[in-house]
Amino acid sequence: MEPSRAQMIARDLLAVLVVAIFMFPIAWWALSSIKPYSAIFDRSGPVYTGFKPTPDNYRVTLLGVSRVEIGMEQGGEAAGVIKGGANSYDSRQSLLDSAIIAVGSTALTLLLATLAAYCLSRMHFSGQQSFLFWILSQRFMPPIAIVIPIVFMFRDLGLRDTYTGLILVHSLINLPLAVLLLKSFFDDVPREVDEAALIDGATRWQTFARVVLPMVKGGVAATAVLCFIFSWTEFLLSLFLTTSIRTVPVKISTFVTSTATEWGYITALGTSAIIPSFIFILLVQRHLVRGLTLGSLKE
Amino acid sequence: MASVTINNIKKDYGAVEVIHGLDLSIGDGQFVVLLGPSGCGKSTLLRMIAGLEPITSGRIAIGDHVVNTLHPKDRNIAMVFQNYALYAHMTVFDNMAFSMQLKKRPKEEIKQKVAWAASVLNLTPYLERYPRQLSGGQRQRVAMGRAIVRDPTVFLFDEPLSNLDAKLRVQMRTEIKELHQRLKTTTVYVTHDQIEAMTMADVIVIMRDGYIEQIGRPLDVYDRPENLFVASFIGSPAMNMFHGEVATDGDAGVVRIGDLALPLPPKAAVRPGQKVVYGVRPEHLRPVTDGSGIPATVTVVEPTGPEIHIFASVGSIAVCSVLHQRMELSPGARIHLEPAPDQIHLFDQGSGERLDKGRN
Repeated sequence: MEPSRAQMIARDLLAVLVVAIFMFPIAWWALSSIKPYSAIFDRSGPVYTGFKPTPDNYRVTLLGVSRVEIGMEQGGEAAGVIKGGANSYDSRQSLLDSAIIAVGSTALTLLLATLAAYCLSRMHFSGQQSFLFWILSQRFMPPIAIVIPIVFMFRDLGLRDTYTGLILVHSLINLPLAVLLLKSFFDDVPREVDEAALIDGATRWQTFARVVLPMVKGGVAATAVLCFIFSWTEFLLSLFLTTSIRTVPVKISTFVTSTATEWGYITALGTSAIIPSFIFILLVQRHLVRGLTLGSLKE
Repeated sequence: MASVTINNIKKDYGAVEVIHGLDLSIGDGQFVVLLGPSGCGKSTLLRMIAGLEPITSGRIAIGDHVVNTLHPKDRNIAMVFQNYALYAHMTVFDNMAFSMQLKKRPKEEIKQKVAWAASVLNLTPYLERYPRQLSGGQRQRVAMGRAIVRDPTVFLFDEPLSNLDAKLRVQMRTEIKELHQRLKTTTVYVTHDQIEAMTMADVIVIMRDGYIEQIGRPLDVYDRPENLFVASFIGSPAMNMFHGEVATDGDAGVVRIGDLALPLPPKAAVRPGQKVVYGVRPEHLRPVTDGSGIPATVTVVEPTGPEIHIFASVGSIAVCSVLHQRMELSPGARIHLEPAPDQIHLFDQGSGERLDKGRN
């Protein structure tokens, strides 16, 4: 039955409501990031409007302008909150660190996972089911349970506080899910496509690289998004395994100090941190359509 | 072009043997159809010829070369799959050019060959399209184009038409046959559709459970099925089968089926008391008005246009008669059906084998 006009409107309203509920924290976060100090800590209740928007939180975290300079611009009005001279809230390096680690671990994960998933999808060996289960089992243990041993191992291997170390760790955590996810995408490509390529004269490697992999690029894109977001937001291991490298989540945590919680900077950096993932997803979302293999199949 | 020779080929999956020592010789340029119900091993046999399935024992030769252990790409064969197996991310042109690109052929030659294949298959306007933008029949033609550009020695088809709708299937059937007449490439074609087999094949190979039941030209297989399986598998509506016993009635031999006595065909090699199956095709079982023949009660009448299918019951046995002329009949009518005496097929009940093999 065709939905009536009233039903359609009700459905749209419900959709708007659901989206609004999910968007509210992000919107509040973004709103807070442009509030002046006084509006964030207004005692009369939440402030939605009626404040003078300021870019200062972004200038401190993203442009490296120190609080002292800002304080001086404002003619000492905010002098009461100025404490130090050096800007420990400058997060430019953290954004770079996070980007290097997230891109690096995503690339490494995809490289290993596509190869592993293709083999698991196409080749058969004894103990395959157990092997798949073993891969999945790597996700059973929470990172907190393995972080201490990893700290010691990484110290001895010289991997602590290196990009390589964090890239490796994030890849290890992403691999099981990436392999299983990609395997399901490879499983969707009919085996006959491989066989047609083999008969056409392709080697196994050419079949993988030139025929099957391009057909699952939607799946690879989806997996890449998941890996990237995990690495971009991962906190615990990044905290334990680094001292000078500070990824964005770790950096934000340092904004909670013994004397104050810098909500302005936290929200500014938090809002900024959404943007790279957002851009990344925009770039790959074109490929996120699963129907991409359509056309090689019968229907 | 080349012949394909298969000697004592066997295939097992662990403890389960699925192909039991087959011998088959396919002549140069022949169109051979492997026909059988699903699970009979016809696709497995085709895949072994292609090199996609390892051979347990035996020998497969293409031309003079034994190809048992050759990689598929070194057999110079081309295969068309049931689900087309097109490269979805490539244009029609690239789908067809892929094999030559892998061999690093000159660009001009590739262009020329693809253009030729496209014109043969009426795909020229679609070369820049992607498979998802094509209809089922066009996709199937792309799959065939991919096969013919390579100028293979053998074409292998694995149920290529079973995903098409009925009308398109008939059309593509003709196109494949025309293509074969034009290119004269040795072709092995797998299907479970007997109409496809009958219409396209030079030679039909009927398989069941990993054995070959009969090899022959389509009409020979239809006219002289060598055993009960072939007799019941080929032909639609299926052959009428009466289970009975050979007896004598005066001088003449008859087959007794309950109260009925049907005359033996002239050259039947039977002995009295032998349990036989008396087979007669629906078009050879005709209503007669002189009161002779088998009394039957009409149950269903199905006019198809060119023919009328009359389903009737003889006691507890269901029979079918196909008429080419018009006849008014309604369910419940009593009729008499008479088998054409020279069109009787007699089979042994025990072995299922035809009882006048080797005679005519």
